[in-house]
Amino acid sequence: MLNRKARLTAAAVVAATGIALTGCAGDTGASTGGASTGGPAQITFWGWAAGYDKSVALWNESHPDIQVKYETITNGGAGGYDKMLAAAKAGTAPCLAQIGYETFSSFLAAGLLQDVSQYVKPQHAEFPEWVWGNVGVDGAAYGVPVDTAPMGMFYRSDLFTAAKIAVPKTWEEFKTAAAAVKAADPKARIMNLPTDPYLYAGFAWQGGAPWFGVNGDAWTVSLDSAANSTVAGYWQGLFDQDLVTSYPAFDAALFSAWNSGEVWAEVGPVWSASLIRDNAAKSAGKWAVAPMPRWGTDDSVGNSGGSATAVMKGCANPKEATEFAMWMSTDDKSVSNLIESAAILPASTSGLANAALDAPESYYGGQAIYQVFRSESAKVNSNWRWGPVMSTTAAALGDGLGKVPTKSATFQDALSGAQTDTVSALEAQGFSVSK
Amino acid sequence: MSPLTIQRPSRRRELRRAAPFVLPFLLLFVVVYLVPTGYSVVQSFFAVKRSGLGLGGAETVFAGLGNYVRVFQDGDFIASVGRVTFIGVIQVPVMLGIALVLALLIDSSVSTGRKFFRVAYFVPYGLPGVIAALVWSFLYAPSLSPITGFFASIGVDVSFVTDGALPFSIANILTWAWTGYNTILIFAALQAVPAETMEAAAIDGCSGWKAALLIKVPLIRPALLLTLVFSVIGTFQLYNEPVTMKSVAPNLPSTYTPIMAALRSLSGNDFNYAAAQSVVLGALICVVSVLVFRASARRVD
Repeated sequence: MLNRKARLTAAAVVAATGIALTGCAGDTGASTGGASTGGPAQITFWGWAAGYDKSVALWNESHPDIQVKYETITNGGAGGYDKMLAAAKAGTAPCLAQIGYETFSSFLAAGLLQDVSQYVKPQHAEFPEWVWGNVGVDGAAYGVPVDTAPMGMFYRSDLFTAAKIAVPKTWEEFKTAAAAVKAADPKARIMNLPTDPYLYAGFAWQGGAPWFGVNGDAWTVSLDSAANSTVAGYWQGLFDQDLVTSYPAFDAALFSAWNSGEVWAEVGPVWSASLIRDNAAKSAGKWAVAPMPRWGTDDSVGNSGGSATAVMKGCANPKEATEFAMWMSTDDKSVSNLIESAAILPASTSGLANAALDAPESYYGGQAIYQVFRSESAKVNSNWRWGPVMSTTAAALGDGLGKVPTKSATFQDALSGAQTDTVSALEAQGFSVSK
Repeated sequence: MSPLTIQRPSRRRELRRAAPFVLPFLLLFVVVYLVPTGYSVVQSFFAVKRSGLGLGGAETVFAGLGNYVRVFQDGDFIASVGRVTFIGVIQVPVMLGIALVLALLIDSSVSTGRKFFRVAYFVPYGLPGVIAALVWSFLYAPSLSPITGFFASIGVDVSFVTDGALPFSIANILTWAWTGYNTILIFAALQAVPAETMEAAAIDGCSGWKAALLIKVPLIRPALLLTLVFSVIGTFQLYNEPVTMKSVAPNLPSTYTPIMAALRSLSGNDFNYAAAQSVVLGALICVVSVLVFRASARRVD
């Protein structure tokens, strides 16, 4: 607290709304200009994922007439999106921006993106329909998908084998297995409660319980739908019966529980592979990956993460920008680089065929785990849509879910709270909401 | 008539001479302080208007006091103001009390090793706030905390991150980090107390704690007032500590303090509302500061 630091913090807040006047007015021309000058087209590109810089360098070498200028910014959720919003407000937005699917609708609804459907049409078959649904509405596309994050089940194969517990294939079996794990080792639990809003979204996604939809010219919000209650009730049930741990998401305590064998499994997106590998090094070789448990006979999977290269409004060379974005997501050399540097699961069909995904992973006992995700990515539920005020929705849901472990709220309370906050945020910002 | 004509050129000359010294500050002050503040105030009177799905982009329209009406109807924002007020009421007096006692101890001629203590008390302030909050987070985290672990080993269940404990846990970090800073400010003021005054007091039979409380403390009232106002402002602008603690206390809401609430609106692309929240917070701090000054000044009289 106190004056100097606190005043700086406050000034940052005040200044953030006033960035237009104080700082980055310099490169307006750089991002949008270049079309009429006759020289090579200039495209600026903001992103943060590892390896993007190298893919850009590969492109620039082979495409002298379209030069991409890549700038690394802070991770979107950690301030990168705020920077983009502020830049767009100030008229200094880049041509291309890395935007996660969960935030894509927010940018779209803020009117910050350009419709590039005509440029991506020829390569429509490169991406599954559910992926296209994440970068536009009503068949229009405002960017090019890069990667996806279908979910799978990471589990300690050594412990499951030793306790003679079969790897669960359905959520019903998962619950039985959860009780069996607790019976085998009273201190152990099958999984940690998914209280991170975006991780939890993956479960709702799989369960055919979308949070948002489009009804004509209005948004629908359905966090409190019956389908959502079913998914929420399942996790609340596991928690109430003390069959799961309830550490904060991504907390050191959870990592040590993975390491020590206190938590036996994690149902999570593809990027959990590196999360577990990097934070539970002591249990190397003991983990394996299986498909995510299913709801009954419904063979669909959830997704939690993935991002696209969006084309922002004001970009003077949308055709060239889209051409680069498409190349980055589909070119063999670029995709190989992205798999190697950022461990992404490519969204494109040609990218998914990349041989790098067949490599055995020593941490996972030599299993070629990305083969599992490759086949699962085709089964992702296609009725999911992210909403236009996800930052508000996620904050409200996160606040609610954070109270579940302390028993001061339930999953259902969290969803109801997020429903209320989301609808009021939408109305306050002038969107049409269909009841 | 004549005095004016004589004065004018000299004043202008004075200004010209002062300009190189004043302008750099004035320029920075205007550019990084007044302009953004003014911009925020202007923004707070507008709102974006969209239609349907919003894909067509947004139009900015004049909203009058609409955003301010929203602020005063926003239960989360009002709760956040209540929270920082509560933290301020319990933390500021404790911190300043400790700081005053420590400063008096360092100042008293009998203490040995005063140079050491002067630096030692100040050390926590030298640590960046986020680092301090991070270290404390580890001490508070239910599953990692050695303190919780110790109490658990003797069968006592203690948690520093329950809803009820959070304000006190945060107040503790603030006190730890800022007591030394305030101690130094108060100590500096104590140094300015004339030695003759204290000598005179000693001759009159007033010494030790009595002299400290009855003579030194009233003499350094301006410094105490300054630390009080700074601390009150700082508490209203609370941000680093709760944000850092959120990773070990997920039950801490994302609108815990007014600045967190404003930032959440900002991330939600609700610029105008965030501006209104910031302006209300700024105005509130101004009013409270003036009230504190007024109340204390009256007591001096």
